[in-house]
This record gives sequence, C-alpha cells and structure tokens, in this order.
Amino acid sequence: MNLMAEILIQVVIAFLAGSLLLGLHRKVMARVQKRPGPPIVQHLIHSLKFFFKETAIPKTVSKVFYVGIVFILALVWIVGVIAGPVAHDSLLILFGVYAVYKIVEHNSGSSSGSPYGKLSCVRAVLSAATELPLFAAIVLVYLMTGTMNIGEIITYQSVHGPLAFSIPLAAVMFFMLIITKSPYSPFAITKDKALISGFETEHFGFLRGFMLFSESIAWYVMLWVFLTIFFGPLNAVGYLIGMIVITFITGFINATTPIFSPNHSVMTQITIGAICFFGTLLMIFTGVVA
Amino acid sequence: MLDYMIYILAFAIGSILGLLYSYKQHGEPFVADTDFNMVMAAVAIFGWCLAFDSGNVILAAIGFLLAGFVMGERPGYGRKETAVGLIIAIILYFLLKWTV
Repeated sequence: MNLMAEILIQVVIAFLAGSLLLGLHRKVMARVQKRPGPPIVQHLIHSLKFFFKETAIPKTVSKVFYVGIVFILALVWIVGVIAGPVAHDSLLILFGVYAVYKIVEHNSGSSSGSPYGKLSCVRAVLSAATELPLFAAIVLVYLMTGTMNIGEIITYQSVHGPLAFSIPLAAVMFFMLIITKSPYSPFAITKDKALISGFETEHFGFLRGFMLFSESIAWYVMLWVFLTIFFGPLNAVGYLIGMIVITFITGFINATTPIFSPNHSVMTQITIGAICFFGTLLMIFTGVVA
Repeated sequence: MLDYMIYILAFAIGSILGLLYSYKQHGEPFVADTDFNMVMAAVAIFGWCLAFDSGNVILAAIGFLLAGFVMGERPGYGRKETAVGLIIAIILYFLLKWTV
C-alpha cells in the first residue's frame, strides 16, 4: 500500500481507537466510583465538538508560540504513529517523541500566560522523572534483544517468547509510564485537580480539539508500543484485547488512588524505576534470564 | 489496515447514532426504563454476529455499525442487549470454527 495512505489510515485508527479507549477509561473509573459515567463514545464526540467551537485567544499569550505548540503536539504524536505502527522503526525515535512531548507540555503551559498554565509548566519539568524509567526499560530491552528496532524485537520474541515473561520488571517500568500518562493518574502532576486542566487550561476551540486529538493518538501509541515490545507478535484481536485490558487496569488504579503531590509522585516513580532496573540487571547478569 | 479503519469508523458512527436515537427515546434525567428491549437485542445479536462471523468487510462493517448503535445508547440502556449479542456472536464464532 502507498506509504501516505498507510500513514493516514493508521492515524485515523489511532485517533478513533485512542478516543474510544479513553472513553472506556472514563467509564471504568465512573463504574468503580458507583456513577453511571458518560457513554464510551463521549470522549470522541468531545474531541470533535471543540473543532466547531469559537477559538478565543487570551490577551496574555505569546501568540505564535501559543498556536504553534498545539500543532507541534499533534505532529509529535503523528511521528509516533509513523515510527511505531507504520514503520516498526527504532525505539529511540519513540523515546525522542516522548521527550519532545514533555517539552511541548512545558511550553504549552508557559505560552498561555495563565498562572494555572505556568504552574503546570513548572510541574512538567518535575514529571520528566517518568522518562528515566522509560529509558531504563528501553536499555533493558536492548540488553536482552541486542536491538532497538521494533521489527527486530518482534522477530526476537517470535523465537524466544514474549519479553514480559523474561524481563517482567522492565515491563512493570513501562507500565508505570502508561499509568502516568492515563487521565486522573496518581502521577499526573501536570494536570491534577488543583490546576483545572493543567497546560490545556487556556487553549480553547479548535486548539483544544487538536490537543484532545493528540492525546487520543498518544494513548494508542503508548499501548501499542507496550504490547508490541513486551507481548511479542500480536494480531489485531490481540492488540484490541490487550489495549482494553490495560485501559481497564489503569481505570481501576486511577479510580481508587489519590493524585500525588509532585515530590511524592517523583519519588515513587524513581523508586519503582530503580528497583525494577537493578532487579532486571541482577536477573540478566546472574543468569536468571537466559 | 483499511478494513480495520472501516470497522472502527462504522462502530464510532453507530455509537453516535445510537446515542442520538436513545436520547430522543429517553429524555428523562434518570434511567427510567430498565426492561430488556427485544428489538435492540435482535439488532445487537444481528450486528455482533455479522461483525464476527460474516468474513466479509462490507457485512462486518454493517455489523459493527449495528453493534455500535446498541452499545452506544445512553448510559443505562443497551447493556444487557449488548452482552447477549456478544455472547451469542462469540459462541457462533467458535461453533463455526470447530464445525466448518
């Protein structure tokens, strides 16, 4: 198939599947908290709705920066789709995508001129603590498979079995990243309740629409990468079931945990990351993992 | 991947249509009617069976549209019907797999 058509199809799938999964996430959280919750399709309708709303731009913003950052956010996650589901390229590109996402969170908050956005921008710097476990997980995958290429990691797993069974602690580390990026997460210090909508607070109309579009794609890409590098070659049904199960688990966790303060969040992430990293190194070098 | 995009698009459109239809039928501020809706159950069974067992992209897309229509109903409606439809479609899938 034509590459451009493949990219377009994958982006549409990522947006729709990500939106429906985030809708399911809200539904699970609501049911755990004994509320009916919104329909599963609500997140998708919500995203589309913003494209038709009036786009107001506050006086305090740095205009070019304020508008441009939204498109960079969308572009970053489209690159994520291209590097992951379309091309099966290097994990380092996806790590780069995640690192730029952090910078975009930070700049999106600071460009608005709102105190809520600025506070979120400061917290985005702290939440870079999530990147260390992510990078450590990628390093461990490299130590096991000898490659960073997603296609080759899939081939490795088709021969040796899923990495989740050989280096489970690395999978736990990556799973922590997914929990961190899920809505209402205990580690979501850039968008917690004290900040209203965090770095998105001052973005209205189609700008918010683009942000929600990017978040849906981000959720899909992160689940796709996790399932691909830890659960081996999967077919479409496998991905669907895996994504629904992970969304259920994160929904349960987020519905039953409070949102941590920034210092608790960072320390918890670093501690879990360090335990899992050294634990996996110990497993590899003592020969527990062949 | 084109077929998966068609399926998910059909499911999303079906869900939105189901939500609109359901709010037209039930405008109450609370869930007023918890009875099992036979018509919706038939639509759900037909939809999920087409989606899982037809083996044809167009028919499966129509199936996902119908399944999404029932599943996407207002919260509190269409849950039991969806569950029945899914169970019957999955049983049929395994029966077809083992017997054909």
